[in-house]
Amino acid sequence: MTAPALTAGPTRRTSTVFVGSAFVSGAVVMLMGGMLAIWLDFRANAPTRAAEGGGRLIKDWLKKDVAIPEVVSNTMMFTFVVTCLMAQWAVYAARRGDKSHATLALAITLFTGLALLNAQIALWVQMGIALRTDAYETMFYAITGTMFAIIASAMAYSFVAMFRVLAGRVNDVDVLAGHALYWYAVSGTFAAMWFIVYVQK
Amino acid sequence: MTTTHAETLSAPSRQAPASLGALARWLSAADHVRIGLSLTIGAALWLVIASAVGVVLGLERLDSSAALVDAGALTQLFSLHRFALVFGVAAPLMLGLSLWTLPTQLHASNISLPRLAAFGWWAWLAGSATVLVSYLFNGGPGGGAQQYVELYLLGLGIVFVGLIALAVVVATTVLTRRNGQRLASIPLGAFSALVGAIGVALTLPVAIGAIVYVWVDFVNARVAFGGAGFINTWLGWTTREPQTLIYVVPTLGILADAAVRTARITSARQPLRGVLLVGVGIAATVIMSSVTQQAHVFALGDTPFATLQSFVPYALFNLLPLLAPLVVIMLSLLALKAGKPSVSGALAASLFGVGMVFTGLVGSAAMHVDALGLVGTVFGEAALVYVVYGSVLAALGGVALHIGSLTGRPLPDVPVILLALTGFLATVLASLPHYVAGFMDQPANSTTGYSDAGVVGVANVAVALGHALMLVVVVAFVGLVAKSRRGTPVTDRYQAQAST
Repeated sequence: MTAPALTAGPTRRTSTVFVGSAFVSGAVVMLMGGMLAIWLDFRANAPTRAAEGGGRLIKDWLKKDVAIPEVVSNTMMFTFVVTCLMAQWAVYAARRGDKSHATLALAITLFTGLALLNAQIALWVQMGIALRTDAYETMFYAITGTMFAIIASAMAYSFVAMFRVLAGRVNDVDVLAGHALYWYAVSGTFAAMWFIVYVQK
Repeated sequence: MTTTHAETLSAPSRQAPASLGALARWLSAADHVRIGLSLTIGAALWLVIASAVGVVLGLERLDSSAALVDAGALTQLFSLHRFALVFGVAAPLMLGLSLWTLPTQLHASNISLPRLAAFGWWAWLAGSATVLVSYLFNGGPGGGAQQYVELYLLGLGIVFVGLIALAVVVATTVLTRRNGQRLASIPLGAFSALVGAIGVALTLPVAIGAIVYVWVDFVNARVAFGGAGFINTWLGWTTREPQTLIYVVPTLGILADAAVRTARITSARQPLRGVLLVGVGIAATVIMSSVTQQAHVFALGDTPFATLQSFVPYALFNLLPLLAPLVVIMLSLLALKAGKPSVSGALAASLFGVGMVFTGLVGSAAMHVDALGLVGTVFGEAALVYVVYGSVLAALGGVALHIGSLTGRPLPDVPVILLALTGFLATVLASLPHYVAGFMDQPANSTTGYSDAGVVGVANVAVALGHALMLVVVVAFVGLVAKSRRGTPVTDRYQAQAST
């Protein structure tokens, strides 16, 4: 006697939004990676001159009187960790069909995104550097401005995801997973920028 | 009666004219056919511009002492030619053709993320139009009008964003709409579209980063990136080989699929299919070459180790990508041997096309050999024309291959073969003479500084003729497609062969 053939289970369709988000995340990583590579190239090849006292060589890169507010930049780094946790919490809640928690998680994600933009503006204000004198200033504003735009794009994604959950589509887990993936990518690129631009300077 | 009369009167005012409705449907289109067709038609229009500029530059070079064009505009004209060839023609043509044909290849109803595709198409259209306007008003690299140089950078950025969006759609479609097929089992056309799209999505963001730097510097200090005259120092890699291979990777799939269908065998019976997949995948190595943004030149060193040190990166970034078209050409010919091939316009056009792409890449590899002294000559321009016109020829093959299954009206083989032969002749005329002139030190991006007598003079005449002939080929092909659409639907030979 032969065993009855098993019927095939339902085929799980790969989420287009999740895969699309993965590609956009890759593009964001490459965008910031390329900018950081050019930054490192300029920093490595910055002109050098002898110090006034002699003996020591000084790189003409970051001016002596320019101080990067590390409290703000470090706070931004930690805020990204919180943001990623919230984005992942939204996925966790959506998997359980928990609309209120998913909405709360996405609202906090949006709020921390706003805090990140606020911190970036505060950092620019505290540094108070001009934009018209040397390569460092030009490149600093270009790279941090791009990061600002990337955070804003992630916030837009959070807003759309929250709108969908509020409208009742809490079971679209793949969209929230794509949203979380995008925030991971943005956080990763910020971590690299934070280390190279704010820590190593 | 009164009511009826009122209804009769008011009815026409409530209904929009049919043409307006059709226009509205086209403007709001989010389906693969309309978006793919729009991109293909847009690329054809840019090809007209590219060919016309090529003819003007060829005529300008006939006499190195006289000037047809204002000397100040020449830098922009050379730059416009490159932009038109790469971002006006090659990249959107390949992405458009992929979008148009992917659902048919994958047996899917539509592409993934169709609204993102619509965004990509409109962004590309708006960006490329902006770039064209900026060139017309003294913008672009080396331009003298500050606002229009800024407009050029903005337009270029929008073009890149549009192309990235389209590439994301293509890659996502292939990965998510396979209807249960394994990635290794999908048609080579879809697989190569995936490889090319991933390449575009990963390399063009790097160029956007460079645009941001250049733009911020240009608007403000102009101390780091050198102003309008140095834009191509930072962005020139996007329009040079081997990066251009990334845009035209789908040509490899078109050839492989055309060979299989012409040989009347199924994809599963394609000889050495695994090797073919690896061959197409090799093209992805160009991503590494592009994002490093450096030309890897091979120069003989003082010691064998120094020579090896120079050769390894040169081979990795210039010789390895050559394997991609080479493997596909060889295995496509093998597929023909394994089956029962017949006369095929799609195969002829795509074989000529990929052959031209391969010739362009060989030229690029030769240009990076220091001992040959070809850097800074017209040799590089010729390599680009080979690659781009090769992609156009392959695209003609792609249209011939898929149009039957898309519209029910396949193209006749003989006219396609004749056009493919003419296109092959046009490509060779538009580029090979500059390979020769490159060895005779005719400078790139210049109409002076060389002797226009003898071989160089003949070469420049031939190049101008080649561009003009390519224009004729494209117009004739569009006419052929338009004529075939008026005919009665018949069974598509390629579809019938694919199903057997």
